[in-house]
Amino acid sequence: MYYGDIIVQYLVFPGMLFTAVVGLVTSWIDRKVTARVQMRVGPPFLQPFYDIVKYMIKETTVPAGAPAWLFLSAPLIGLAAVSAASTILWRALMVPSETFAGDLIVLIYLLTMPALAVILGSFASCNPLASVGGSREMKLVMGYELPFVLAALVPVIHAQSIRMGDILSASPAVAAPSGVLALLVAMLCMQAKLTLVPFDAPEAETELTGGAYIEYSGPPLGLFKLTRAMMLFTMPMFLVALYCGGIRFGTGWLDIVLGILKYVGLVVVIVLIRNTAPRMRIDQAVKFFWGPVTVVALAAVVLAFMGW
Amino acid sequence: MLDVLLNPMVLPVTIPVIAGFLCLLLPKALDRVRGFVAVVAAALTLVAVWPVFRGGNQVADLAGWVSLRIDGLSAFVLLATAVFGLLITVYSVGFMKGKARLREYYAYVLWTLGASLGAVMANDLVLLLILWGFLGITLYLLIGIAGPDAADAAKKSFIIIGGSDCILMLGVVLVWVKTGSTRMDGPAMALGSRVAYVAFLSFVAAAFAKAGAMPLHSWVPDCGEKAPVPVAALLPASLDKLLGIYLLVRVVVDLFTLDGLMKGLLMLIGAVTVLFAVMMALVQHDMKRLLSYHAVSQVGYMVLGIASGTAVGIAGGLFHMLNNAIYKSALFLCAGAVEKQTGTTDLDRLGGLGKAMPLTFAAFVVAALSISGIPPLNGFASKWMVYQGIIEGGRGGRLWVIWLVAAMLGSALTLASFVKVLHAAFLRKASPDVARKNVREVGFTMWLPTTILAATCVAFGVLVHHLPLPYLIRPAIGASVDFTGVWGAGPATVMLLAGIALGLVLYFLTSARKVRTCQPYIGGEVMSEPYIQGVARGPSRDVEVTGVDFYQTIQDLPLIHKMYDLAAKKVFDIYDVGRGTAMYFIEALRKAHAGLLPVYLTWVMAGLLVILYMLMRLWG
Repeated sequence: MYYGDIIVQYLVFPGMLFTAVVGLVTSWIDRKVTARVQMRVGPPFLQPFYDIVKYMIKETTVPAGAPAWLFLSAPLIGLAAVSAASTILWRALMVPSETFAGDLIVLIYLLTMPALAVILGSFASCNPLASVGGSREMKLVMGYELPFVLAALVPVIHAQSIRMGDILSASPAVAAPSGVLALLVAMLCMQAKLTLVPFDAPEAETELTGGAYIEYSGPPLGLFKLTRAMMLFTMPMFLVALYCGGIRFGTGWLDIVLGILKYVGLVVVIVLIRNTAPRMRIDQAVKFFWGPVTVVALAAVVLAFMGW
Repeated sequence: MLDVLLNPMVLPVTIPVIAGFLCLLLPKALDRVRGFVAVVAAALTLVAVWPVFRGGNQVADLAGWVSLRIDGLSAFVLLATAVFGLLITVYSVGFMKGKARLREYYAYVLWTLGASLGAVMANDLVLLLILWGFLGITLYLLIGIAGPDAADAAKKSFIIIGGSDCILMLGVVLVWVKTGSTRMDGPAMALGSRVAYVAFLSFVAAAFAKAGAMPLHSWVPDCGEKAPVPVAALLPASLDKLLGIYLLVRVVVDLFTLDGLMKGLLMLIGAVTVLFAVMMALVQHDMKRLLSYHAVSQVGYMVLGIASGTAVGIAGGLFHMLNNAIYKSALFLCAGAVEKQTGTTDLDRLGGLGKAMPLTFAAFVVAALSISGIPPLNGFASKWMVYQGIIEGGRGGRLWVIWLVAAMLGSALTLASFVKVLHAAFLRKASPDVARKNVREVGFTMWLPTTILAATCVAFGVLVHHLPLPYLIRPAIGASVDFTGVWGAGPATVMLLAGIALGLVLYFLTSARKVRTCQPYIGGEVMSEPYIQGVARGPSRDVEVTGVDFYQTIQDLPLIHKMYDLAAKKVFDIYDVGRGTAMYFIEALRKAHAGLLPVYLTWVMAGLLVILYMLMRLWG
């Protein structure tokens, strides 16, 4: 019964299905805003859904010389991980009292796994362009993981607990200066986690023609795209929960609207950055994350310890 | 005498030691039987260990300082040692087939096993010291088996381990002076006095040298690269880790009571070990050397957990020790399989093994994800407990943030270096060497241990609350201890499995059911046929990412670059630094040895005067 509950929650709400739907809607917002910025009309509301369905009926090809089992299972790892992350996150948002100690660490790990899936998939493609993409993705992970962990510890220091529930119940980290700095750092890391411009070196359409995804087609590619859309929902939501007090349920519709507004605000920032910045080279990106971003993150941690 | 040897607690030592002599004495004509004898002996040892493991706490005072004791901790380490001994002996049969000096090899392996089991049960510091020293000798001999190439590595290991044995001796003497006893089941010694600190640090140094923590780590990479693979898997990867961490836990928990200063020092060493060793691993070109640096880096996690001083941290450290032994020996044995089939472990000359050696590849993937701490594998479970320990142990302080970030970043960097190995050895197109040799999977005595170990990684991760924690870890740290911060592997595993299952169903319902194989698309460039088959000679036009330039961008970063430069000059290698310092003093002393009798007589007189003065001061 216990595991039955978990599976239902995981597959339907607040897990895979819910995350996929909201993620695809968010990707529509992304595409629509991007189109408006570029003076285009943009896709209709249901376009992301049509796209995913169409991927499912396209042919699946596997590159010669690649271990097919790894090539095909890589997208599944990412999808499973982001769904699990979303489930754990939303359970914490809805019932903050019932989270388990240290779930924050589990979330950080699970949110890294989609990147790992892309790397494994690209290396299993037996294609030099994919290899370059995969190795860039790995370097990007190395780069942002340090400031991201530091920034994620700031609310932990404020709430004096590593439990998501306690962090959500405490006053939002962003009310303190250290929280603002940490949120800025985390937003930059989020941009890189989503491999959006300026941190899209792993895909770099104009240079690597998709890089990591170059050999993928049909359903596996569809699942990769779906995973990305779900990350586009889960990552900003994670930041809202960590720094901005999350979405409060059970205290009236105003709090829920407020929570959604926080989320939409973060998404709009993501979209604006991605439409106005040029691409960074991978060495620039790593230097950026290990240099200034980490310094700011450290400053945030020190400020948090000083009670600011 | 005989009843001592047949004492159930002594039996695990007696069996491998006697079998070792048997292996040594068997005539050359019976080389085939030798491996079989060793396997049977290792299996019998495991059988003999089982009743001791199940027997609960017991002490056997045999004669004078020959005293053995079993408690939760030693029972756990004892069993783990015996299991790894057996697995690696089985693997050796396949790997060492046709190699020279087999009679010595099996004898040394069995003696190592016996001495390790004895050291774990030792209840007297003198006995521990003797067995510890004996293990240093067998380590030296085992590395040397690989031939003249390994002589330097063997010497280096011997000097570092032997040196730490001397320090251990100092620690034993100090404890004896301070407490008047060398028994290990006495009350814990309080830190605070200078003598106690020196004694404590001596023990810690011995434990660190054995386990391979910084700054006494530098024998591990050399040993891993040069020694025969089963030796690397047996000693630095599993047995020496078990022993070193066992001693560390004994010292931190039973022999001394940790104070804040020493705790901070140990945490610092742990964090530096994690980060520095993993940075070194990132840039290695040799698979075995890369794995050895991870053997160092993982010790950092164990030290962090144990030094946290909390129940969950110590349990996490011990659990991580066990997990590390599992996945690290799996990784080394995979490297051995690769070496056996291709003749090299140089990442630049490998490639395409993912298809040629599917079982080894699958085992390597599981073990690599496990060491990188990917949930729900066992590496994540134990790292997570270590993180909990760091946070709980750091309550009220501020330094825990540094330890935690170091540990979590170390995890990401571990993943990065294994991604490189996966790519360079298994997934990229076959190198000319590999393609020419028509590489196939290894025989079952070699893939069986690796796949068993990989399966254990999964089992210990998914069933963490059902297998390892209740039966091994909880008894080891005392059943009364209850720790809350254990990760609920069940729900997360069910989630991930449900997700993957749903994806598979989706594949089955869509076109992914039947896939079409096509040639890779390289942005319009045409791949020549020999290139596709991996037999192209000379520089190819493509942009292949090799093991060498994989992390070149990272290596070229300003500060990082400096660190690697210093490492290349061996500034972080205590062996080279120590040799340099020693040579400096030797040069000075050499000047005093001019070969002139009057000079020597003067020295003798001066020495006599000093001794006289000292004696007079003592009596006066």
